[in-house]
Formats: sequence, C-alpha cells, structure tokens
Amino acid sequence: MSIEVRNICKTFGQFTALNNINLEIPTGELVALLGPSGCGKTTLLRIISGLEEPDSGEILFDGEGMACRSVRERQVGFVFQHYALFRHMTVFENVAFGLSVRPRKKRPDKDEIRKRVYELLQMVQLEHFANRFPTQLSGGQRQRVALARALAIKPKVLLLDEPFGALDAKVRQELRHWLRRLHDEIHVTSVFVTHDQEEAMEVADYVVVMNQGCIEQIGKPEEVYSKPATPFVYEFLGNFNIFHGRVEGRKFTVGSMSIDLPEEQPVLDDATIYIRPHQLELDLHPNHSSYFRSHIVHINPAGPIVKVELLSEWNETIHVDITQERYTELNLRKGMEVFVFPKNRRMTLWNDREEE
Amino acid sequence: MKEEVLPVTRVGRKACAITEPRWVRWCLTVGALSFLALFLLVPLLAVFINALDKGISAYWAAIVEPEAWAAIKLTLTATLVAVSINMIFGVAAAWAIAKFEFVGKNILTTLIDLPFAVSPVISGLVFVLLFGAQGLFAPVIESLGIKIIFATPGIILATVFVTFPFIARELIPVMQEQGTEEEEAALVLGANGWQTFWRVTLPNIKWGLLYGVILCTARAMGEFGAVSVVSGHIRGLTNTLPLHVEILYNEYNFSAAFAVASLLALIAVLTLIIKSIVEWQTQRKLSSQDESKTN
Repeated sequence: MSIEVRNICKTFGQFTALNNINLEIPTGELVALLGPSGCGKTTLLRIISGLEEPDSGEILFDGEGMACRSVRERQVGFVFQHYALFRHMTVFENVAFGLSVRPRKKRPDKDEIRKRVYELLQMVQLEHFANRFPTQLSGGQRQRVALARALAIKPKVLLLDEPFGALDAKVRQELRHWLRRLHDEIHVTSVFVTHDQEEAMEVADYVVVMNQGCIEQIGKPEEVYSKPATPFVYEFLGNFNIFHGRVEGRKFTVGSMSIDLPEEQPVLDDATIYIRPHQLELDLHPNHSSYFRSHIVHINPAGPIVKVELLSEWNETIHVDITQERYTELNLRKGMEVFVFPKNRRMTLWNDREEE
Repeated sequence: MKEEVLPVTRVGRKACAITEPRWVRWCLTVGALSFLALFLLVPLLAVFINALDKGISAYWAAIVEPEAWAAIKLTLTATLVAVSINMIFGVAAAWAIAKFEFVGKNILTTLIDLPFAVSPVISGLVFVLLFGAQGLFAPVIESLGIKIIFATPGIILATVFVTFPFIARELIPVMQEQGTEEEEAALVLGANGWQTFWRVTLPNIKWGLLYGVILCTARAMGEFGAVSVVSGHIRGLTNTLPLHVEILYNEYNFSAAFAVASLLALIAVLTLIIKSIVEWQTQRKLSSQDESKTN
C-alpha cells in the first residue's frame, strides 16, 4: 500500500513540529525518516499512524483519505521505541493481542490464532520464548516481539519509531540486517524513524532527511550522500571540514592553498567549501599543486581508518581520515608538520545553494 | 538503553559508607519500637483487656445484641457502597489526570485532596445544609419522597466524601509512571477503549488499586466525624460501629463499648495484615523484574 503525505502541518503550542510536509512513499518500499532529535520525524510517523492528528493536511493510503479513519481502523503496524509490550502478558499473548481483540465475526478461532502466532514467533526466532514475560527478555528480543506483534494483524504499512534506539551497538547492527532481510521477504511498505545516518543509509531504500519540521531532501542513500541538496544534509550525513575563502574563475583560494574547481565560477569573496575528511590526504612534502601546511594535534589509529586532527596554518581544526597503510608509511606523530591536499575535486561549494 | 546498560541497585543492598555505627542503629531501633509500643500496642491491648473485663460471655452478648448487630450491618453496607463508588470515580479521575491533558487538570488534582484538608465534621455539616429539612435541596428531596439526612443515604454520602482521595491518590502516580504507550499500542492493534481498559490498563494498576481499596475500606469503617453529623444517632437504624461505641461509652457501659471497639480494632489489624501482604506481593513482582533486567 502506498502512503501519501499532503501538506501536513502540526504545531504544539508555540512550537512548529511539522511545516507543510509533502511526501510520497511507493508500495513496498522501506523508507527512513532521518533527522536530529526534535526535527518532527516521530510526529510525522505518529500522524501517519493516526496516533496524532495533524492541524492541517491529509494522509492518503493507496489514494484514499485517512482523515476520518481512527487509528484502530487504519490497520497499521506500529513498533514503539521502548517496545510498549504489555508487561502482564506472555510473549504469546502479546503477539496474539491484535487478533484476539477483533470483533467476534472477524476473529480467527483459537487454533488459527495459535498457528499464526507461532508462525510469527518462528520468523522472529523466538518460538521457544512464547511463555516468557517481556521482563524476562533482552532488549533485542523484546524489540523482535514488538515487531511480531505489529505484524500479527497483517498491517498494510509498518511504522517503526527509532526501532533500535534503545539497544547497544552490537545488537543494533544485527537487528538492522535482520530488518532489511525481513523487509525483502514480506515487502510491506515500511517507514522507520532514526537519528542515526549510518542506520538509515544501510537499511533504507529511500532516505528522507528532515530538519526543523521541514524535509530537506528525499533520495536513495547514495544520492543523498553524494549529492546533498542543502548544507544541512551534507553536515548531517557525516564528518566534514569547512573552508572559507575566495572563488575566482576555476580557483578557490584559502590561505596559501588553492583548489582547482571543475567549473568556472563567478567571483565570490566569501565562499564556503565543504570537504569530507576522507577526501583529504596527508604528505610529508609539498608534492602537489595545491596544499596547505598544518600541525598534527591528535591521532586516533584505532579502527580500519586512522583519524588525524590537525591545526591549519590559519588556526582552524582540520580532520583527515587516512588508511592504516598510509599512516605506517608516513610514520606520523603528534606535533609533526605535514601537508594537506585534496585527493580529488569532489568537494562541495555552497554559494546561495549553488553547488557543484 | 536505560534498562539494558545501567546496573540496577537491588533493594536491600546498602553501601557501607552510609551505614551508621552499631550503637546508633541500636538506639534508634529501640527508641522507635518503644515509642510504638507505648502509643499503639498498649492502647490496643487495653481495648481487648477492657472488652474481656466481664468474661467472654458478656463480650459475646455485647456483639450479638440487636443494636450492635444493626450497627455492624449498617457499617458494612455503607463501606461496601462507598468503596464501590470511590473505586469507579477514583479510577476515572486517576485515568483522566494521568493520561490526558485538559484545561482545569490542576484544579481537579487539588479538588481530589479537598476531603483531606476539610475537617470531617464540616463536610458532614455541608451535607446537612444541602439535604437537611431546611437545606438547599430540601424541596426536591421532599417531592421525591426520599430521606437523606438521618438515614442510610446520608451516611453513605458522608463516607464517600471523606474517603474519596484514597483510591485516586494511590492510582495517579502508578498510572503516570506507566505512561500511555501500552494503551497506544493496544489502540493501534485494533482494540477499542473498553478492551484497552480491561485488558491493558486495569491489569497494570491492579496492585495499586487493591492497596487503595484496602486503605479506603479501613477509613470508611472507622469514619466518625462526618457520619456523626448526618446520622442522627437513631439506635438500630442509623448507628454505625464507631457511633455505637460512643453511645455505649457515654452510657458508662464500658465493657460493651470496648467489646464493639475491639471489633473495629480487629478490622484495623486485619487491614494492616492484608496491606502488608499486598505490599509484599508488589515488592516481589518489582524485584523479580529487576532481576531479569540485570541478567
């Protein structure tokens, strides 16, 4: 089932949570609403589910307006951030709840419910835990019960509110892959909210980046990452260095460094260029056409890449990521003077939303 | 995160740094226990000793005497009705305050505490002024042909008023702490309001509710001031147990007065025991949750 969000606005007192949101989610996609806390992503999810009412605008499922449908009638699966499992019910009873509260005419009989619940528990690999209570499960297990419970009513759309937010890093990673596989299996239109860009990039078909109640960009993960529409998206999707300098023709000058730009630009005295740490390289000698001098302030060699923090000649902090091989080759130490140069020309220049 | 990572401090395990030296602990314990003995245990014993002053047969006679028996029945009726009414309204008020935002919420919260703040005698008097022969609603009541003041309805009304806060007060923090997420989950899964209440909300508050009901019952049975004003002290008709004790005592019928008083004392002790069991159960439930969290 496709979801369409039309001109949704929502305010809480003085605070504008959502400002005229328009969004289309095609059938069967897995979409991430990504943004910092307070950007309105959870509010949007709750409005889609019907738990919250918009001040104006409408939600359409398969082209059909949902304004007069209550949350009970929308048949959505909702997974809460803190699971919201019924604490006095066993895992089995939790998963069976959605089926057992149906009006008598539509309610499946006991054996059928049992069969369906065990099917779901098998899918989330918890069939041996049917008689446990939620408090006897780990966080990851509870989240899987919550998912099975949401899927029990055969929802037309699945909504997940920060589904992995309360879990530790390792379980998070596992569940992410598991959610992706699950979605590939059942193909129910799904929307999940997250503030973790890595999670959104890894799991979602499409990413919707939100900020202060507005949508900044919608696109496939690689699109959003490589072609950010606004400085906010660029900044939110990873670490970055900012250079303020002067643009003239095909050159961007900052301090003693000048960077070649791929295209001719009008003259601009205070241009801003963004470069990601992995787009910069270090060397002991000024072997390149454009470079600048800086001192190493800190090195973090733990992990697959080495993160180097430097102080540029104009006294700004610069972050550079290099490979372990390069780190060993250069034999870097704290306090050394090194030369920084851009690896390629894939840098982003913003000048009144003009990018390249 | 909160539940997973932070170690849960078990109830009963104390850090060495905050324990007092042995003699201080000993002195405090003895002090507290002797205070309790002097002001609670001795009077309680005195009640029973005085009650059995003239032998067990006199004690029994004082209790099964028709007027005493009528007082017992009236007390039980008033308590049963008052506790039922307060249970319904207490749950409703706590539900409204804990789960919804509305205009006048703070006023409602304050109003719930009103019976605690007003002297019971005054609240009894209010009912007399409203429903009495010269009262505000006197014409209405007369035309309907019912009697409220100096009759059972008045006693029930006064009891309801005085014991209203117990259940609501007990439930509000419980419900606030539990939040609304489970109810939302139930709604999303297709449950209607009634199903949500019976299958999700009520099971979650049952221990708090039981605790409130016990306190409310104890207070309803023992209520004297408000009931005294509206009852009219008609023997065998509008006398509750506490009022009956007072009448017997004023007639210098001490052993009978203490015999009936011992009944009330027994009820109080029984209530305390049930209350401890409920508390112990709740504690056990909580600690078993903690244990599974730390595992």
